Amino acid sequence: MMPAVQLATLAVIADGPAIDGLTANGLIVGAILFALGLAGILTRRNLIVMFLCAELMLQGISVSLVAWSRHHGDWGGQMLVIFVLTVAACEAAIALVLVLGAFARTGRLDSQAWQSLREDNLPRVVDHALPSIDTAAAKWPKLTPAGVLPETDEDELLEREHV
Amino acid sequence: MPVSTPTLQALVPALPLAAAIVTLLVGRRLGHRAHLPAVAGIAGAAVAAVMLLFSTHAAVVGHGDPHAADAAFETAKQFDSPSTLWQWATIDEAIVPSPAATPPGTPLSAPATDGSAAAIPFSIPIELRLDPLTSTMLALVTCVGLLVAIYSIGYMHDDPGYARFFALVALFVFSMTMLVSATNFLVVYVFWEAVGACSYLLIGFWFRKPEAARAAKKAFLVNRIGDFGLAIAVFLIWMTYGTLNFHDATLADGSLQPGVLGVTRLEEPGRIIGGAVGTAICLCLLLAACGKSAQAPLHVWLPDAMEGPTPASSLIHAATMVTAGIYLVTRCAPLFEACPGALVAVSIVGAVTALVAGLIATVQNDLKRVLAYSTISQLGYMFVSLGTGTLLGFTAAIFHLVTHAFFKALLFMGAGSVMHSMGGVIDMRRFGGLRRIMPITAATFLVGSLALAGVPPFAGFFSKDEILASVHAKAFPGGHDGHHEPSTVAAAFHPVSFSGRAVSFSGKASADETVAPAAAAWLDGLDRPRVWRVIWWMAIVTAGLTAFYSFRAVFMTFTGPERVPEEAMGHAHGHEAHGHGGSGPHESPPVMTIPLCILAAASAVSGWWLFSTHALSDFLAATPSLAAPAVAATAVPHAFHMDIAIQGTLAAAIGIAVAAVGHLGRRSDGPQMERFLGPLEWLFANRFFIDQVYSALVVKPLEGLAFVAAAFDRFVIDGTVDAVGRLPVAAGSIVRGLQSGLVQRYALAGASGVLLIVLALFWRLRG
Repeated sequence: MMPAVQLATLAVIADGPAIDGLTANGLIVGAILFALGLAGILTRRNLIVMFLCAELMLQGISVSLVAWSRHHGDWGGQMLVIFVLTVAACEAAIALVLVLGAFARTGRLDSQAWQSLREDNLPRVVDHALPSIDTAAAKWPKLTPAGVLPETDEDELLEREHV
Repeated sequence: MPVSTPTLQALVPALPLAAAIVTLLVGRRLGHRAHLPAVAGIAGAAVAAVMLLFSTHAAVVGHGDPHAADAAFETAKQFDSPSTLWQWATIDEAIVPSPAATPPGTPLSAPATDGSAAAIPFSIPIELRLDPLTSTMLALVTCVGLLVAIYSIGYMHDDPGYARFFALVALFVFSMTMLVSATNFLVVYVFWEAVGACSYLLIGFWFRKPEAARAAKKAFLVNRIGDFGLAIAVFLIWMTYGTLNFHDATLADGSLQPGVLGVTRLEEPGRIIGGAVGTAICLCLLLAACGKSAQAPLHVWLPDAMEGPTPASSLIHAATMVTAGIYLVTRCAPLFEACPGALVAVSIVGAVTALVAGLIATVQNDLKRVLAYSTISQLGYMFVSLGTGTLLGFTAAIFHLVTHAFFKALLFMGAGSVMHSMGGVIDMRRFGGLRRIMPITAATFLVGSLALAGVPPFAGFFSKDEILASVHAKAFPGGHDGHHEPSTVAAAFHPVSFSGRAVSFSGKASADETVAPAAAAWLDGLDRPRVWRVIWWMAIVTAGLTAFYSFRAVFMTFTGPERVPEEAMGHAHGHEAHGHGGSGPHESPPVMTIPLCILAAASAVSGWWLFSTHALSDFLAATPSLAAPAVAATAVPHAFHMDIAIQGTLAAAIGIAVAAVGHLGRRSDGPQMERFLGPLEWLFANRFFIDQVYSALVVKPLEGLAFVAAAFDRFVIDGTVDAVGRLPVAAGSIVRGLQSGLVQRYALAGASGVLLIVLALFWRLRG
């Protein structure tokens, strides 16, 4: 992690106060979190895990923001972190809905299943073959009912494949 | 007279123009009354034209004895001042090397070899002239136009383009009256094109019919060749004479600018330029006349023009527009008079056309096409007459033009009446014996044919006799006491030859300087009795052919067992409206037969009346162009030569007799006498393969060129453009593989990019 710290030192605060140990630790932890998240998002194919990794990267940035905030004695960084957390919460809700929606359409959480936006005439990328799913036999999770059950047409319920 | 002459002159073209505009604007709303503006406008123009004719005639007669030596020219001088409508274009100082534009008195034998140029004003005035020739043409065009317009009320009565037809006819009458009224070569050119455009529109009137559209296109393209000749002639006249006016104009500074055909120039011998340049001008004018008047080798458009409505064929392609060439040559008579070679060329073209068209007409089975070839043949006759270059020849051509307008309009309208009754069928083999069904049409058609064949005392006999007399005088000089050798008389007026003058304008000599005079001299050399004797015999043979094919048409159509095609049976449209019940073949309604009767009467008596009184020839002799000393010197006393008349009549009688032997009372679909001609019949029926020759020489090479050009366009030009278009695609295909649709790859690319930037920053900041 030293090059990263060195880089940060060089890049941002070439003429600021010297970085003390606590700031350096914060930056190191932030960098580790960011790197883990990046590695996860590049290597994992499960949409939910990829999503969690993205959150991890976000938190890594937040930690470094806090560290820099402390280093400069400026609350702006921490305020920004609160702001990021708020936005991340909203984004998490939307992202989870999208993931669930994608899952509802195909029954898959594998990101490799979603490559229809590729160029025409290109073959499908197959890293490891997608596991086949017997959708009929699969046991789907039941979400705990909350609130008032919406009125649903029986026919419409029949037409749904699952969930 | 309550209306002044300039007003009348303006009214003649203005009324048809107004009628055309009104009909075009509100014609559809007028419905079945759409003919009213056109008929009223042309009628008004006809009244004005006839009043002008009388006033001009009074002016000629009132000017003393036209037989006196110089009287005709003195009379003609009053016709050299046109009435100005407005100035179209004015350029104060047009630079033109113009020795001929210098004031009279300046020796013309000193061409401007030093290249000095005179700055002279160039203006295109819209002016209307009035002289005997113009007033004759005006009266002819408007009166025949009026009869045709009235006839069209019946002929076109249920056509969806009813209003359009009358608008075009009115527009044509406007253009034609302007053409003969114009007193400037450029204005002539404009209306020369305008009548061509009207002709195009009327030939292609039924433009949904592919043949009609093709025929219109063909007529337009062939006419363009002639128009090209006229354009070149106009350029040459401007370069040679420095003006395009016919008349003498007074310039702004009060000086006199002699017109090309103005009395000032005509008065003085040698002011008309002959030689190579003059011959070139005349040959270009002849080319123009050949295009418009359907003379060989540009005659091919006229037979196809019969695809148009019959009244249009009658008015434009028989009676009036095709005579524009005759008019132009007559108007430019002094120019031709200066170039004997060009005159011979006119006659040769006319004689060849007359004979060839006559031969083709003998085997045509389409009634309208017989008449079309007959028109070409008769126009050729007029050209023969013009080419004699004598006053008798010019007046005889106009005389024949007038009588031909009557009887050819009559024949065409008779053919239209037959076609109308036969349900659109015009093939003579499919009907016969119609004299009982359509007695008026049959009688008037017979009168027209007698006039066309030149049977005394019908109109064609007298006009044809005058033409033959004018040729006879050239072919057998000294043959009659009254006939002088015109060229010796006119020799005093033959111009100084300025060979190669046009070339010297540009200040550099070229091969033309030696070739062109030699060619002109060669043409001049054709002006000898032996050539004229050939032309004379061609004219006599044509007279016999004319009688043969016109009576062949009469016999095939109106005699023999009565037969009508089945199309005529279903032809029941509008009968109730016209008040004659029942269906099937019928005589045409009065609105069609009355014009026929009027024209038949004119065809019967006009020739005898005009010949016996010499009214027309004396009248025309007062036209400045024909009163010019060079032309007037060729005048001969009026005479009737029995031997010429007998030869002409004998030829006609033989023709009629042969036609009677072959066709009188026989079934028109039976074996025809013409079959005995064998290969000749094949040659005539295929029209001497002229169309095929054009196809092989012009159309096919052009099509080949077009094919090559199209291939070049498709493969070379389009190929280049397509190659440019494929470049981005090719470049894109290199990096297309990156677009895999997998989010991980995109994320990897993004992360790599960030890493690259970070490293770059790192190295930079450290460095």
